Amino acid sequence: MIDQTRLKILVDGAKYDVSCSSSGSARRNSADGVGNAAFGGICHSFTQDGRCISLLKILLSNDCAFDCKYCPNRRSADVPRAHAAPEEICELVMEFYRRNYIEGLFLSSAVYQNPDYTMELLLRTVRLLREEYRFNGYIHLKGIPHADEALTRAAARYADRMSYNLELPSEQSLKLLAPQKTKASVLTPMGVLQTGREEAAALWKARTGKTERKGRGKFLPAGQTTQMIVGASPETDGKILRLSESLYRKFSLKRVYFSSYVPVVKDPLLPTVSAGLLREHRLYQADWLMRFYGFDSAEIVGEGENLAVEYDPKCAWALKNMHLFPVEINRADVETLLRVPGIGAKGAYKIVSARRFAKLTFEDLQKMRIVLKRARHFITCDGKFYGADNEERVRTALAVAERLDGAKQLSFFDGDEGGLLRKSERQSISLSVLDGTKNFLLHSTPSIAKSALDGQF
Amino acid sequence: MNARTVYFTGGTEEGFFTAVFDGYNQPNAYLTSEKNLQLGLGENLIRVQPDMEKVARVERKIKGLDARAIGDVRLALRHRDEDREQVAFLYVRQLVKTGKSVRGMLSVEGVRRMMDLRGQVLNEVHRLKGFLRFSETNEGVLYAPCSPDHDDVDLLASHFVARLNAPFVIHDVWRRKALLYDGRECIVAAVGDAEIVESEREKYFSSLWKKYYQSVNIAERKNLTQQKNYMPVRYWQFLNELS
Repeated sequence: MIDQTRLKILVDGAKYDVSCSSSGSARRNSADGVGNAAFGGICHSFTQDGRCISLLKILLSNDCAFDCKYCPNRRSADVPRAHAAPEEICELVMEFYRRNYIEGLFLSSAVYQNPDYTMELLLRTVRLLREEYRFNGYIHLKGIPHADEALTRAAARYADRMSYNLELPSEQSLKLLAPQKTKASVLTPMGVLQTGREEAAALWKARTGKTERKGRGKFLPAGQTTQMIVGASPETDGKILRLSESLYRKFSLKRVYFSSYVPVVKDPLLPTVSAGLLREHRLYQADWLMRFYGFDSAEIVGEGENLAVEYDPKCAWALKNMHLFPVEINRADVETLLRVPGIGAKGAYKIVSARRFAKLTFEDLQKMRIVLKRARHFITCDGKFYGADNEERVRTALAVAERLDGAKQLSFFDGDEGGLLRKSERQSISLSVLDGTKNFLLHSTPSIAKSALDGQF
Repeated sequence: MNARTVYFTGGTEEGFFTAVFDGYNQPNAYLTSEKNLQLGLGENLIRVQPDMEKVARVERKIKGLDARAIGDVRLALRHRDEDREQVAFLYVRQLVKTGKSVRGMLSVEGVRRMMDLRGQVLNEVHRLKGFLRFSETNEGVLYAPCSPDHDDVDLLASHFVARLNAPFVIHDVWRRKALLYDGRECIVAAVGDAEIVESEREKYFSSLWKKYYQSVNIAERKNLTQQKNYMPVRYWQFLNELS
């Protein structure tokens, strides 16, 4: 049995992997087995940093042969080293799973001795878990760059999802900060696994005449993901999003995760300040626009640019494309509605289904709980417009809306040094918003607060 | 406004569907299962006796108009809202009046309320799938206490039966009922307090879990608001990692 000390060491080394999802697989239980996978994924707990715990995130070993600058487990770091035996991992998974602590296992490892040896250990663990322990819950397996292709493919047969972390968004940065990794060492196995998925799908089609059902594929049913650290190297958001887009297209990745750089490691080549949660948040917003809202990366931001700080990327896009607005809520097609700032997938769906029965008014939208503080400037309801009358006021209103959300839910604007405002610039004031019925306590810069009080939105 | 005619459904589905039948043409019908209801001046109270023939007729009518509506109604009746029966009743009326599915009619308040109740129940079921914590007793039974907002523990049966190969108990301590699974069959029963003797292994793995919970946190990214948004505090009392 694993003890608390080793557990802590092996978890500390694994926790900077952002991916926590247990979705995408609908693996079924077997007659003598334990567990299955829920297609939508299930969160089991949330830590103080607000991240979910869905899978048991752990390393087989943190004793690494590589020396990536940003990594707390790198060869040259002076940290306690530990290993876990495959049996110990399996036992922990089974005991945690039956108590409903977790959905499954997220297994990773430092490069122990060499890539092939490590990959073999990972393979042994997942095979044991599936074949001896009869575990049918979710397994997310981390691939080891430079490991033998046959081992990778063998391991993929037991996992629901695999991931290779790109970590840095360009070859130059990799060379500088992760000298043993190359772009090819990550992208080649991704290609191998994608081919494996396509072959399995084609085989199924040939045998049954049907397309594989979602999440029921025989080879990595939940596909692949990757992760990039943001802010450790100089790449712009535009560059990062273009890279993500090409990964989605080429390897059908399910997700690209962004991890805002946290300086846990001191090195002259690394920045000393964290990149801040806001930048990461903006990248995720842009990522959502590409995956669910039909945006291209080129529409969102120029290659050499970063995303706007004051507004979310959809607002920023809309402000550059004011000639497309306002759109009539009772007629616009769903693709157009999805491009209205403040209207999400759920809101667009609600509008489209409700307007089949009756013409929708502004009050209807409010009652349907469509959030209108942004959308009102970009829509008409049965011909009537409820937004601000010039672009400058729209800008101000959007910035204020953003500040309110940031202060209320996400606390991007306080606490972290990478956030938008320094403490001294902030003031608390009370003001009435738009309809004059609600009072918010607003944390804001004096200039925005003043224009808000002057009724400029 | 005319005085209401109050139909007391007794809290069962059969009582509800019978009351829908009886009260349908009564313009001021009010359906409820609230025992401590205050009657207003001149108001009539009718205690509904479940009548399976009426139940079948109402169900057939609803199913004929919208196959999904009957499930929606059943879910909404599990909600803790005092008005749940009335909301479901008005929804059925709207459905019959419209003559086809009304679930998309979200600009109508009655439909919206119905969908809210339904959604909140389903949302809680999903949360419970994550937030239940089983502890292993001396006899190898898995026991999970909880206190859900809505009456929904039995909706968890298929999920956990499919996953676990051990007998388990999911105990709604507030409603004093439990979902019991003996390895073959699942039943819901009224139960009082449970006395649990934890196994030695239980203590060991429970403490490992607490260690895991502490270790996986990234202190530099502390965000308690987000933690509470995703995992409301009312669920915390049953989470062993937080106690």
